Amino acid sequence: MKALQIIKYGEIKDSLDFNEVSKPTVKANDVLIEVKAAAINPIDKSIILGNLQGMLPLPLPSTSAYDVSGVVIEKGDDVSNIEIGDLVYSRVPQEQMGTLAEFVAVTREAVSKKPGNISFEEAASLPLAGLTALQSLEYAKIKKNDSVLIHAGSGGVGSFAIQYAKAKGAYVYTTTSTSNVEWVKELGADRVIDYKTEDYKSIAKDVDVVFDTLGKNYSLESFEVVKQGGIVVSVVGPLDEASAKMFGMADYKLPEEIAKASSEKEAVYKFIFMHPNGAHLNDIKSLVEDEKIKPIIDNVYPFSESVQAFAHLSTGRAKGKIVIKIS
Amino acid sequence: MEDLIKKIKTRLHLRPEAEEFLYSISKEIKHSKGEVLIREGQMVKKTFFVTSGCLRSFCIDNNGKEHTLLFAINDWWISDYIAIHNNELATLTVECLTDSTVIEFNAKELDGIHTRFPEFESYQRLNLERHVVSLHKRILNQLQLSATERYDLFLKQYPDIERHTRNYHIASFLGITQESLSRIRVEKAKK
Repeated sequence: MKALQIIKYGEIKDSLDFNEVSKPTVKANDVLIEVKAAAINPIDKSIILGNLQGMLPLPLPSTSAYDVSGVVIEKGDDVSNIEIGDLVYSRVPQEQMGTLAEFVAVTREAVSKKPGNISFEEAASLPLAGLTALQSLEYAKIKKNDSVLIHAGSGGVGSFAIQYAKAKGAYVYTTTSTSNVEWVKELGADRVIDYKTEDYKSIAKDVDVVFDTLGKNYSLESFEVVKQGGIVVSVVGPLDEASAKMFGMADYKLPEEIAKASSEKEAVYKFIFMHPNGAHLNDIKSLVEDEKIKPIIDNVYPFSESVQAFAHLSTGRAKGKIVIKIS
Repeated sequence: MEDLIKKIKTRLHLRPEAEEFLYSISKEIKHSKGEVLIREGQMVKKTFFVTSGCLRSFCIDNNGKEHTLLFAINDWWISDYIAIHNNELATLTVECLTDSTVIEFNAKELDGIHTRFPEFESYQRLNLERHVVSLHKRILNQLQLSATERYDLFLKQYPDIERHTRNYHIASFLGITQESLSRIRVEKAKK
């Protein structure tokens, strides 16, 4: 089968190539998906650039990408909740990475039927960003009338998080640049802060939850805007100590300034590792079918133009997700 | 099954052996919400008479979107008749939108019942005519009526069904977007 593979780490144009590889084999818990559409995410770019070699060592060449939507054409003996012919979507686990290919084998726990009211391309755009947002805001137990600041509302994670938080009845502040203000408002955000002309810290004050999707100084600044006893969830900031332990870093300490700021505010700081989860995707399916959440797609590229799709992703200017139509 | 037998008896003289035959080619089955009775791409050997609950048949287009062809509630029949008639694989999927009870018939045996019991010939012909009329009406409504009018008719035809269906089931049945359906509902609520 044809697959877009990372052949070496480095610049995107030099590091990707189409290869003919063998079709994945299906284990007892797996389904084999004929890929209709895949989506690419910033992590895919970071992997290609080699920025994650230490954390996620890959045997090269490796097929790229995690998000997929397609049709189940084969299943393992222990798979009972999914049938051949089902239209599904998934964020595949690390060890099964490689959705930019004609077929991908995925463990059933990571797979859900796709929403029936959207296309394969739209469905492929949802898993990674949707699971990241859902699992972060679920950790924060976001509920009706909570106030939440979601950074980078025009990004894949941010645009999903806004809609998810609104579906839960929260009051949503979000930040974005001037050119994105209007369409981010249309996602339902109550107060869209144009970071080019406004200081978000003087607008979003004492919020119940900050969802940090930017990291760097924004992680620390989160404690300036979160209420006393509030929650800061981050998907890009420093690891928290419990998460670090999970990775075997027993003597890891939270950076001093974050620990101090968190303690002064008596606020929780939690780093969220998105994990593949078919049950969560099934929750997202319902939200999409009920129009609580709409997929936001910047562009759909044909498979043959996948490298151009990555170049577009690299600009960091995509409004929503970049999708690749495979078949 | 007794209810169906009663209904048949109102329209023809049902001999005991014909009644026995009907029982021999059918069974009453309870299904849970979400169960799929016919799956696209598979052989279709059964047709279903709904005694309680709600089912729908739908097709999936090349982009993976679902389009509802029919909802079946109490006293309706549902299957993939194209697949049965042409002896082809199913192009439709039939799923339960609620916990449902159906009487499942062997489609070929039911279709051929008039060869054993000729009294079924006119009964089946009338059923078929009704079905054709209903399909013609559906096509004409689609061609002639506004979206709001189609929605009004839908509510008359399927009272109470909205509790069991998602918006996109109804929107795709009516051939409109979910946004349009929401707009129509808002307009109706204002009246």
